[in-house]
Amino acid sequence: MSSVQRTEAVTASTARLSGLTRSFGETQALNGLDLEISSGAVLGIAGPNGSGKSTLMRILGGEDALDSGTVTINGELVSRGLLAHMVAVVHQEPQIWPNLTIAQNLLVGREHSRYRLPAISAGEAMILADLGIATEGDREAGSCSLAVRQRTEIARAIARDASIVLFDEPNSALSEEESVALFRHMDSLVARGRLVVLVSHRLGDLVAHCGRVAVVRNGRVVTVLSGSLLSEEAIARELVVGHAHVQRSTQAAGGSSHRRDIMSVEGWTHIGGAFRDVSFAVGSGEILAIVGVEGSGARELVQSIASDVKARGRRSIFDERGQATSVRRVAYLCADRRDMLFGNLSVGGNLTIRLGIPEIAFLGGLLSLRRQRALAQKLLRRFGVRARTPLQPLPSLSGGNQQKVAIAAAIAREPMLLVLEEPTRGVDVGSKAEIYDILRTFTSSGVAAILYCTELPEAFEVADRLLVVDRGVVRTALDVHAFADVTALAETVATTERIRA
Amino acid sequence: MNSLESSAPRGPGADGDDAVTREGVRTRLQRLGIASLQTYGLVIAILLIGAFFQSQRSEFFTLDNFVALLRAMASLAMIAFAQLFVIISGELDLSVGSVYSLAASSLAVLWLGGGNLPFHFPFLVALLITLVMLAAIGSINAFLTTVVGIPSFIATLGMLSVASGAELWIGNAGNFTPAYNTPLPPRGELATFQSLGATQLPLNIPIQVLWLLAFFIVFWIVRHRTLFGFRLLALGGNPEASRVVRLPGRRYKFIVFIVCSVVAGFAGILDFSYVGSVAPNGGGSLTFPVFAAVVIGGASLSGGRGTVFGTLLGAILLALLQNGLALIGAGAFAQDVFVGVVTIAAVSVDRLAARIRK
Repeated sequence: MSSVQRTEAVTASTARLSGLTRSFGETQALNGLDLEISSGAVLGIAGPNGSGKSTLMRILGGEDALDSGTVTINGELVSRGLLAHMVAVVHQEPQIWPNLTIAQNLLVGREHSRYRLPAISAGEAMILADLGIATEGDREAGSCSLAVRQRTEIARAIARDASIVLFDEPNSALSEEESVALFRHMDSLVARGRLVVLVSHRLGDLVAHCGRVAVVRNGRVVTVLSGSLLSEEAIARELVVGHAHVQRSTQAAGGSSHRRDIMSVEGWTHIGGAFRDVSFAVGSGEILAIVGVEGSGARELVQSIASDVKARGRRSIFDERGQATSVRRVAYLCADRRDMLFGNLSVGGNLTIRLGIPEIAFLGGLLSLRRQRALAQKLLRRFGVRARTPLQPLPSLSGGNQQKVAIAAAIAREPMLLVLEEPTRGVDVGSKAEIYDILRTFTSSGVAAILYCTELPEAFEVADRLLVVDRGVVRTALDVHAFADVTALAETVATTERIRA
Repeated sequence: MNSLESSAPRGPGADGDDAVTREGVRTRLQRLGIASLQTYGLVIAILLIGAFFQSQRSEFFTLDNFVALLRAMASLAMIAFAQLFVIISGELDLSVGSVYSLAASSLAVLWLGGGNLPFHFPFLVALLITLVMLAAIGSINAFLTTVVGIPSFIATLGMLSVASGAELWIGNAGNFTPAYNTPLPPRGELATFQSLGATQLPLNIPIQVLWLLAFFIVFWIVRHRTLFGFRLLALGGNPEASRVVRLPGRRYKFIVFIVCSVVAGFAGILDFSYVGSVAPNGGGSLTFPVFAAVVIGGASLSGGRGTVFGTLLGAILLALLQNGLALIGAGAFAQDVFVGVVTIAAVSVDRLAARIRK
């Protein structure tokens, strides 16, 4: 009863989303979003982080409920439960069972047997063959390549006859060849009359493979580009247009003439192959942004700078007096707050966790509670963390304030170089501005910061220089101060990414 | 300083964190790991159980019985303190019970001869060798866990079996009683041995009570007043973040595992000294109550939470149960049942309270 009969399954030709709203606390993730998905071509969705894109995906996949609004498929209203059945999502990191074989993965949830060990039917074997993974049928999914696991997810979508297939950043970790094969499978889904949606940060892919591209910002579709209007520059412009007012800080770049290197790398090559032979330097007083889509190697490049093991090559780090120093003077902040803060410690504990003797303890290792307390209170004030007392448990702070705690704790160690991944992810607008201020104040004392950004407005607002990384290579270095507004910067970056290879 | 700060909400996860701020008496007690919902609950439970036994047998609430109770729980509590540190770091050491008896038997064989070793040594040398061996066992546990990367559950489960087998082999599964051994050990050495665990202090206080007190103070200071304790809490609370902020996680885990093995073995030696003889595999029954004391005391098996004072209360609760049940004539089997039930109940109540607070 619960499963729709295969014969009854309709091939949808239009899905219409109208007036979708969804809020989480005070955040309005979707704000009256309207969108039409039609068969015949892939629909692309682009949007900056926090635009509501992922909420939209979750709602379409039936994983989340709507506050208001309707979804209709072929004119019929579709409930959340039915959506979960009709829509299949192919994730960036395939969500299948790694302990089962590829064939078993295809069967989970639709075994067609009550007591017997389920086996795949001829039709299901055909699906695997069509996707070129029939030979892998008996392999454990966990031991298969990402591309094979992803195709398994596609196979599951086909096998349960999903009407809509959503691809969520599907090729960010695939090789060139695997990407080509993936898009071929996407096209064949379209040819079979399915509605296919591609969400991607890669503007080139959106332009090459989609008939229409919807740009989502602030919880609504701001424009749908198609035909001759559809180009990488056009998408890039639409993505940042809401930030056209973004103002850079008035202070100049600290004068590049007095600049001396804080850190430099030469022939810097990732051990996992994410980037190779990268050379660049960052100077005192400078904030360097490294941008690149997921899978470009930009994130790995930023991470490797603070690590002893992730890359090989020549790296030099200099202290205040220009003497060579170790990677211990580099403080790193990862993208996910939960991976650098301690929920079981108080705010004060988190602020002082990177410190040791003599900052918070005596020579023998005995804690000086007085010093620790005084330091924590000083850091609270200096970084404007809104906490009543350092004794407050960390989870009682808002996301933005927790982020400030993480940054304050890193700066408290007086690093020469601060390395941050997406420093304002999941942070409200007010805290964002404060965090940029903190970074500028920090570097103005003659040290440096490197950030990994996924959003250009962030790079434009806070950075002095910008490196564009694509397929493991630094394509270009731009002086952010040379651009009048973020739109100009976005167009230049989009052009750079197109000229590649 | 003011009511604002002492009224700061304290989530279940934030207990016993030692950082910062001037405060009222209550906050100060919280910082000392003494005041928390768990400890209040435990003290109440201890009083209730005590009152019950007192109503059954009037000799329950006497100084003699109290001292006997403290003496009997000394080794359990000492091992529980050390286990607490391992658990705070996010690991566990299942081998404490067999290490406890391995230490006693090894000391006996190394000192008195016999067993399967062709040599023997003066007492202090034998003691030193035993302690070094204990440290080696802890290092192996830590090595397997942090360097090889197997879960400490497996590593120390294996060590449990290795140690108990090694004990049977070394001692040839025999009993050792130094005072009646042939040949008799030198009188001075025998006195030294006996002084470790069998000395009576003034007021008829057994020296093991003093050992318990000393261990409590040292572990309390390390947990609440040192950089080590502060970082250990962080290490267990979020291992991923500990890597990001570059805490010396591997070194700390070596330390807690080594301390745990050495303390477990030392407790075995103290009991050997107190009892005067050692029988094979006497420590096996310790494994459960050690974990029970730590968990009843409010520690989280997933790491990052737990206090020395809570563990002490947990050990007292268990000792009280055993002592009281023995006094009212319940058999050893009933004791096991009660200890199990109380452990499960304590953790359930804790979980329930945490859910209600949310």
